[in-house]
Amino acid sequence: MIEIDAVTVSFGGVTALNTLTVQLDAPVVGIIGPNGAGKTTFLNVLSGFVRPNSGRIHAFGRELTGMQPHQRAQWGLRRSFQKEQAVDELTVEDNVRVVLDSLPLSRDVVEDALTGALEFTGISALRRRSVAGLNAFERRMTELARCVAGSPKLILLDEPGAGFSQSEVATLRSVINGIAETIGARTFLIDHDVDLIQATCQRTMVLDFGSLVTYGETASVLADPKVRAVYLGMEET
Amino acid sequence: MMASDPPVVSTPALALWRSRSIGLLLLVAALALLPPLLLASLWLKVLTGVAIYTLTAAAIALLYRRLGLVSLAHVALMGAGGWVGLRLAYGLGTPFEVNMLAGGIAAAGLGMVFAYPALRMRGLYLALVTLMIAGAFAIIVNVLQFPNGGGGWSGFAVKSAGYMPRPAIASNDVGYYAYCVVVTALGMALIHWHEIGKAGRAWALIRRSEAAAMSSGVDVPFYKVWAFALSGFLAGIAGVLLAGNLQMLDARSFPAAESVMIFALTIVGGAWNPVGALIAAALYRLVPALLNDFGVNGDAAYIIFGAALIHALATAPRGIAGQLEDLASRLFGRSNGGNTR
Repeated sequence: MIEIDAVTVSFGGVTALNTLTVQLDAPVVGIIGPNGAGKTTFLNVLSGFVRPNSGRIHAFGRELTGMQPHQRAQWGLRRSFQKEQAVDELTVEDNVRVVLDSLPLSRDVVEDALTGALEFTGISALRRRSVAGLNAFERRMTELARCVAGSPKLILLDEPGAGFSQSEVATLRSVINGIAETIGARTFLIDHDVDLIQATCQRTMVLDFGSLVTYGETASVLADPKVRAVYLGMEET
Repeated sequence: MMASDPPVVSTPALALWRSRSIGLLLLVAALALLPPLLLASLWLKVLTGVAIYTLTAAAIALLYRRLGLVSLAHVALMGAGGWVGLRLAYGLGTPFEVNMLAGGIAAAGLGMVFAYPALRMRGLYLALVTLMIAGAFAIIVNVLQFPNGGGGWSGFAVKSAGYMPRPAIASNDVGYYAYCVVVTALGMALIHWHEIGKAGRAWALIRRSEAAAMSSGVDVPFYKVWAFALSGFLAGIAGVLLAGNLQMLDARSFPAAESVMIFALTIVGGAWNPVGALIAAALYRLVPALLNDFGVNGDAAYIIFGAALIHALATAPRGIAGQLEDLASRLFGRSNGGNTR
């Protein structure tokens, strides 16, 4: 259970998140909303890049609010970025190994975790390849392998499916669907692809202008007239 | 592409690595032992300087390549290491190796102090800060002077011109040259050892994006400070080696401009390849000496270096070493798989 308690973030005069209070409890939670709704700001608050002006975040009974980003990662928080951040000059394996370096694990456990993460994301064959020679999807999967390595507790994915073909998104979908069972972590997924959200997220929250519009079962959220209004930009009556 | 190689590479790759390290050992031995047979002692001193500045250039290249940080203070760091080494040599009479380590550690400490601005700044602003530190060092050392066997805290006396003792195993010029080559090789091995390990992976992520590094659990300030400490340590060692080469140091030979020059030459030589550091040091020490030998003022080298820097920035971002690498792979038809960038 991840509890967001009255989190407010403002940049200058812009309120990016407005006293956001929500308890997120599904294995995979979708986060949707129009551009500028505060979705990425929400992930940045969770990963510690943005300090909220007020409010608290608890995850599985642990208060995250005061922790540094790298401490949150060591605690078990992982994230991917809108623009993937795989490192060209390292091998696929070393790109994943970075995240295990900061954890107090024995050599054998590290090797097992590496193998497990690469198998889970389907890139074992690329293990010793340099990332510089990979295509966009393989790079995205490398980043995803970094997210799932080392028994994470919560994984934040920021538009992982953007720009990929249907078959690639299908692979991505099955990987995301496997996270809860195989990795044992919760996932928060931002994406504009409503099909991907529908196929992976049990529950979905909708943000607009930094405020929570609604949170609930994905199917009913997507059918909600308020949500349709937010997406189509219509005034509620 | 060729995806069929991963399962088979493990043992041959290990063998290759072993043969490569043996090859490197032979190369170091050849560099250490051959030149004295061929050269007069004046040139041997110049070559000793090349070996020493190779270590400095490698230390600068480490910061530039791994973290994208520009340090214009490395000659000042050498001076600081040299000062501490000389002070210990005259004050306590400790063995050369102890002085060298102490000089390295002192410069590493200074490097860590530099790292504080680096935690928030990059690019031009950091370069300016390091340049000012180099300038401050030049002024301070002109007041203090380098210890030369005098009394008091600074160990400087106008009349007593003592000579710093060299290591017991390498007291003559030939032995000292070989000693410097070996220490430089060990220093570069230390860099390599860091780069293939945990620190290297953390630095690679930091260079890619600090946000990605942090969210992968990398303690970004710690690894930045570590890089500066390692780089400063090696520069400090090089400083003590330099003090041993001349058996004294002159306060006037550490102006900030020298730090700028060695940085520029590190880029010209190539920061992405260990050979680049050697090329940088060779340009820095050999070109002025050669020009003098031809009867041209050695300062003319600065004009050549300026042109070389423009050339490197415009057409060869990986420096001369990168161009040589391309040439070699073209000649021997060996593709390096795009993994050296």
